[in-house]
Amino acid sequence: MKFEDAVKKSIKAFMQGKAPSATTAINKDGLFYSPEYFDDLEKTLMEEAPKKAKKSTGSL
Amino acid sequence: MKTFNAPIAGANYTADIRNYPWHRPPDISNYDEGVDSLLGKLKEPETHELVFSMLDLDMPISTVVSTLMMQSISKGKFAIDLSILMAGPVARYISIIADSQNVKYDMGVGDADRIKITPTSLKMALGILEADEAEEIDEATEEAPAAVSEGLMGAPELAQITQASDDEQASMLGLNVEEEEPTNGMA
Repeated sequence: MKFEDAVKKSIKAFMQGKAPSATTAINKDGLFYSPEYFDDLEKTLMEEAPKKAKKSTGSL
Repeated sequence: MKTFNAPIAGANYTADIRNYPWHRPPDISNYDEGVDSLLGKLKEPETHELVFSMLDLDMPISTVVSTLMMQSISKGKFAIDLSILMAGPVARYISIIADSQNVKYDMGVGDADRIKITPTSLKMALGILEADEAEEIDEATEEAPAAVSEGLMGAPELAQITQASDDEQASMLGLNVEEEEPTNGMA
Protein backbone atom coordinates (compact mmCIF):
# COMPACT_ATOMS: atom_id res chain seq x y z
CA MET A 1 0.00 0.00 0.00
CA LYS A 2 1.28 3.42 -0.93
CA PHE A 3 1.44 6.31 1.53
CA GLU A 4 -1.31 8.15 -0.38
CA ASP A 5 -3.58 5.10 -0.17
CA ALA A 6 -3.00 4.83 3.58
CA VAL A 7 -3.84 8.53 3.95
CA LYS A 8 -7.06 8.06 1.95
CA LYS A 9 -8.03 5.06 4.09
CA SER A 10 -7.37 7.03 7.27
CA ILE A 11 -9.44 10.00 6.04
CA LYS A 12 -12.32 7.72 5.04
CA ALA A 13 -12.34 6.03 8.44
CA PHE A 14 -12.24 9.34 10.31
CA MET A 15 -15.07 10.77 8.21
CA GLN A 16 -17.13 7.73 9.18
CA GLY A 17 -16.62 8.70 12.83
CA LYS A 18 -13.94 6.15 13.64
CA ALA A 19 -11.12 7.30 15.93
CA PRO A 20 -7.79 5.43 16.22
CA SER A 21 -8.69 2.95 18.96
CA ALA A 22 -5.17 2.03 20.15
CA THR A 23 -4.22 5.70 20.40
CA THR A 24 -7.41 6.41 22.33
CA ALA A 25 -6.58 3.59 24.75
CA ILE A 26 -3.15 5.10 25.52
CA ASN A 27 -4.57 8.48 26.51
CA LYS A 28 -6.30 8.35 29.90
CA ASP A 29 -8.56 11.30 29.13
CA GLY A 30 -9.29 10.14 25.60
CA LEU A 31 -8.49 12.05 22.45
CA PHE A 32 -9.04 15.77 22.31
CA TYR A 33 -9.22 15.93 18.51
CA SER A 34 -11.91 13.28 18.20
CA PRO A 35 -14.58 13.14 15.45
CA GLU A 36 -17.02 14.72 17.96
CA TYR A 37 -14.69 17.70 18.46
CA PHE A 38 -14.77 18.39 14.71
CA ASP A 39 -18.56 17.97 14.61
CA ASP A 40 -18.86 20.67 17.28
CA LEU A 41 -16.35 22.87 15.48
CA GLU A 42 -18.34 22.53 12.26
CA LYS A 43 -21.56 23.54 14.03
CA THR A 44 -19.91 26.57 15.59
CA LEU A 45 -18.30 27.72 12.35
CA MET A 46 -21.46 27.21 10.31
CA GLU A 47 -23.45 29.24 12.84
CA GLU A 48 -20.85 32.00 12.75
CA ALA A 49 -20.64 32.10 8.95
CA PRO A 50 -24.14 33.62 8.29
CA LYS A 51 -23.55 36.20 11.06
CA LYS A 52 -20.30 37.29 9.41
CA ALA A 53 -22.00 37.46 6.03
CA LYS A 54 -24.75 39.67 7.47
CA LYS A 55 -22.16 41.95 9.10
CA SER A 56 -20.20 42.30 5.86
CA THR A 57 -23.32 43.13 3.82
CA GLY A 58 -24.45 45.59 6.49
CA SER A 59 -21.19 47.54 6.32
CA LEU A 60 -21.56 47.99 2.58
CA MET B 1 26.01 -22.27 -5.13
CA LYS B 2 23.42 -19.72 -4.12
CA THR B 3 24.35 -16.06 -4.29
CA PHE B 4 23.21 -13.90 -1.43
CA ASN B 5 21.07 -10.94 -2.37
CA ALA B 6 21.11 -9.09 0.93
CA PRO B 7 23.22 -6.45 2.64
CA ILE B 8 26.42 -7.58 4.32
CA ALA B 9 25.85 -8.19 8.01
CA GLY B 10 26.82 -5.07 9.94
CA ALA B 11 26.69 -2.81 6.88
CA ASN B 12 24.31 -0.54 8.74
CA TYR B 13 27.09 0.29 11.23
CA THR B 14 29.31 1.64 8.44
CA ALA B 15 26.95 4.52 7.53
CA ASP B 16 25.84 7.49 9.56
CA ILE B 17 22.19 6.73 10.31
CA ARG B 18 21.49 10.31 11.38
CA ASN B 19 21.96 11.77 7.92
CA TYR B 20 18.30 12.62 7.40
CA PRO B 21 15.69 14.10 9.75
CA TRP B 22 13.48 11.02 9.41
CA HIS B 23 16.37 8.87 10.64
CA ARG B 24 16.22 10.62 14.00
CA PRO B 25 13.40 10.33 16.56
CA PRO B 26 10.48 12.59 15.52
CA ASP B 27 9.87 15.91 17.26
CA ILE B 28 6.26 15.01 18.07
CA SER B 29 5.02 11.53 18.91
CA ASN B 30 1.70 12.40 20.57
CA TYR B 31 -1.50 12.36 18.50
CA ASP B 32 -3.14 15.43 20.04
CA GLU B 33 0.09 17.44 20.01
CA GLY B 34 0.63 16.52 16.38
CA VAL B 35 -2.89 17.49 15.29
CA ASP B 36 -2.59 20.71 17.31
CA SER B 37 0.68 21.53 15.56
CA LEU B 38 -0.77 20.84 12.10
CA LEU B 39 -3.94 22.86 12.74
CA GLY B 40 -1.74 25.70 14.00
CA LYS B 41 0.29 25.47 10.81
CA LEU B 42 -2.90 25.57 8.72
CA LYS B 43 -3.89 28.81 10.44
CA GLU B 44 -0.68 30.48 9.24
CA PRO B 45 -1.47 32.75 6.25
CA GLU B 46 1.11 31.14 3.93
CA THR B 47 -0.11 27.57 4.52
CA HIS B 48 -3.75 28.68 4.44
CA GLU B 49 -3.25 30.36 1.07
CA LEU B 50 -1.34 27.37 -0.28
CA VAL B 51 -4.01 24.88 0.80
CA PHE B 52 -6.90 26.89 -0.65
CA SER B 53 -4.98 27.55 -3.87
CA MET B 54 -4.55 23.79 -4.23
CA LEU B 55 -8.29 23.30 -3.64
CA ASP B 56 -9.02 25.96 -6.27
CA LEU B 57 -6.95 23.90 -8.70
CA ASP B 58 -9.42 21.03 -8.10
CA MET B 59 -6.92 19.02 -6.10
CA PRO B 60 -8.63 16.58 -3.74
CA ILE B 61 -8.20 17.14 0.00
CA SER B 62 -6.49 13.75 0.34
CA THR B 63 -3.69 14.97 -1.97
CA VAL B 64 -3.37 18.24 -0.05
CA VAL B 65 -3.13 16.33 3.24
CA SER B 66 -0.58 13.89 1.80
CA THR B 67 1.56 16.83 0.67
CA LEU B 68 1.40 18.46 4.10
CA MET B 69 2.26 15.18 5.80
CA MET B 70 5.19 14.48 3.48
CA GLN B 71 6.57 17.95 4.24
CA SER B 72 6.37 17.33 7.99
CA ILE B 73 7.84 13.83 7.71
CA SER B 74 10.75 15.07 5.61
CA LYS B 75 11.50 17.68 8.29
CA GLY B 76 11.44 14.99 10.97
CA LYS B 77 8.43 16.42 12.75
CA PHE B 78 6.31 13.27 12.82
CA ALA B 79 6.79 9.57 12.19
CA ILE B 80 5.04 8.12 9.14
CA ASP B 81 2.54 6.03 11.14
CA LEU B 82 1.47 8.97 13.31
CA SER B 83 1.04 11.17 10.25
CA ILE B 84 -1.30 8.56 8.72
CA LEU B 85 -3.38 8.63 11.93
CA MET B 86 -3.49 12.42 11.83
CA ALA B 87 -4.57 12.57 8.18
CA GLY B 88 -8.25 12.15 9.11
CA PRO B 89 -8.52 15.09 11.55
CA VAL B 90 -6.52 17.39 9.25
CA ALA B 91 -8.70 16.52 6.24
CA ARG B 92 -11.84 17.05 8.31
CA TYR B 93 -10.57 20.44 9.48
CA ILE B 94 -9.78 21.55 5.92
CA SER B 95 -13.25 20.44 4.77
CA ILE B 96 -14.92 22.39 7.61
CA ILE B 97 -12.98 25.57 6.78
CA ALA B 98 -13.74 25.12 3.06
CA ASP B 99 -17.45 24.69 3.84
CA SER B 100 -17.50 27.81 5.99
CA GLN B 101 -15.85 29.81 3.20
CA ASN B 102 -18.04 28.28 0.45
CA VAL B 103 -15.07 26.71 -1.30
CA LYS B 104 -15.89 23.67 -3.42
CA TYR B 105 -13.74 20.62 -2.74
CA ASP B 106 -13.41 16.92 -3.34
CA MET B 107 -12.33 14.66 -0.48
CA GLY B 108 -10.59 12.29 -2.93
CA VAL B 109 -11.55 9.16 -1.03
CA GLY B 110 -14.40 8.07 -3.31
CA ASP B 111 -14.45 5.12 -5.64
CA ALA B 112 -14.59 7.19 -8.84
CA ASP B 113 -11.64 5.33 -10.40
CA ARG B 114 -13.15 1.95 -9.67
CA ILE B 115 -14.40 -0.06 -12.65
CA LYS B 116 -18.09 -0.80 -12.12
CA ILE B 117 -19.10 -4.43 -11.95
CA THR B 118 -22.03 -5.06 -14.26
CA PRO B 119 -23.83 -8.36 -14.95
CA THR B 120 -22.23 -8.45 -18.43
CA SER B 121 -18.71 -7.80 -17.17
CA LEU B 122 -19.16 -10.46 -14.52
CA LYS B 123 -20.42 -12.96 -17.10
CA MET B 124 -17.47 -12.13 -19.36
CA ALA B 125 -15.06 -12.66 -16.47
CA LEU B 126 -16.63 -15.99 -15.63
CA GLY B 127 -16.86 -17.01 -19.30
CA ILE B 128 -20.63 -17.68 -19.16
CA LEU B 129 -21.69 -15.07 -21.70
CA GLU B 130 -24.78 -16.08 -23.71
CA ALA B 131 -24.57 -16.28 -27.53
CA ASP B 132 -26.80 -13.22 -28.19
CA GLU B 133 -24.85 -11.04 -25.80
CA ALA B 134 -21.54 -12.21 -27.23
CA GLU B 135 -22.69 -11.27 -30.76
CA GLU B 136 -23.77 -7.83 -29.58
CA ILE B 137 -20.37 -7.25 -27.99
CA ASP B 138 -18.57 -8.50 -31.14
CA GLU B 139 -20.59 -6.13 -33.33
CA ALA B 140 -19.82 -3.24 -31.04
CA THR B 141 -16.09 -3.98 -31.13
CA GLU B 142 -15.99 -4.63 -34.89
CA GLU B 143 -17.21 -1.16 -35.83
CA ALA B 144 -13.99 0.58 -36.73
CA PRO B 145 -13.79 4.32 -36.20
CA ALA B 146 -13.91 6.49 -39.31
CA ALA B 147 -10.46 7.26 -40.63
CA VAL B 148 -9.34 10.85 -40.36
CA SER B 149 -8.75 12.15 -43.87
CA GLU B 150 -8.04 15.76 -43.05
CA GLY B 151 -4.77 17.29 -42.08
CA LEU B 152 -1.20 16.59 -43.00
CA MET B 153 -1.02 13.26 -41.19
CA GLY B 154 -4.51 12.09 -42.17
CA ALA B 155 -4.99 8.98 -44.27
CA PRO B 156 -5.55 9.78 -48.00
CA GLU B 157 -8.98 9.09 -49.48
CA LEU B 158 -9.37 6.28 -52.02
CA ALA B 159 -9.87 8.73 -54.90
CA GLN B 160 -6.53 10.35 -54.09
CA ILE B 161 -4.63 7.10 -54.22
CA THR B 162 -3.15 6.56 -57.69
CA GLN B 163 -1.23 3.49 -58.67
CA ALA B 164 2.07 3.84 -60.48
CA SER B 165 2.24 2.47 -64.02
CA ASP B 166 4.17 -0.73 -64.77
CA ASP B 167 7.11 1.23 -66.27
CA GLU B 168 7.30 3.48 -63.22
CA GLN B 169 7.24 0.50 -60.90
CA ALA B 170 9.92 -1.26 -62.94
CA SER B 171 12.13 1.84 -62.87
CA MET B 172 11.62 2.14 -59.13
CA LEU B 173 12.78 -1.45 -58.79
CA GLY B 174 15.73 -0.78 -61.11
CA LEU B 175 14.64 -3.39 -63.65
CA ASN B 176 14.64 -1.35 -66.90
CA VAL B 177 17.70 0.78 -66.28
CA GLU B 178 20.23 0.38 -69.04
CA GLU B 179 23.67 -0.30 -67.72
CA GLU B 180 26.23 2.29 -68.77
CA GLU B 181 29.34 0.93 -70.31
CA PRO B 182 32.56 2.22 -68.75
CA THR B 183 34.58 4.58 -70.92
CA ASN B 184 38.21 5.81 -70.91
CA GLY B 185 39.58 2.33 -71.43
CA MET B 186 38.39 0.98 -68.11
CA ALA B 187 36.69 -2.02 -69.81
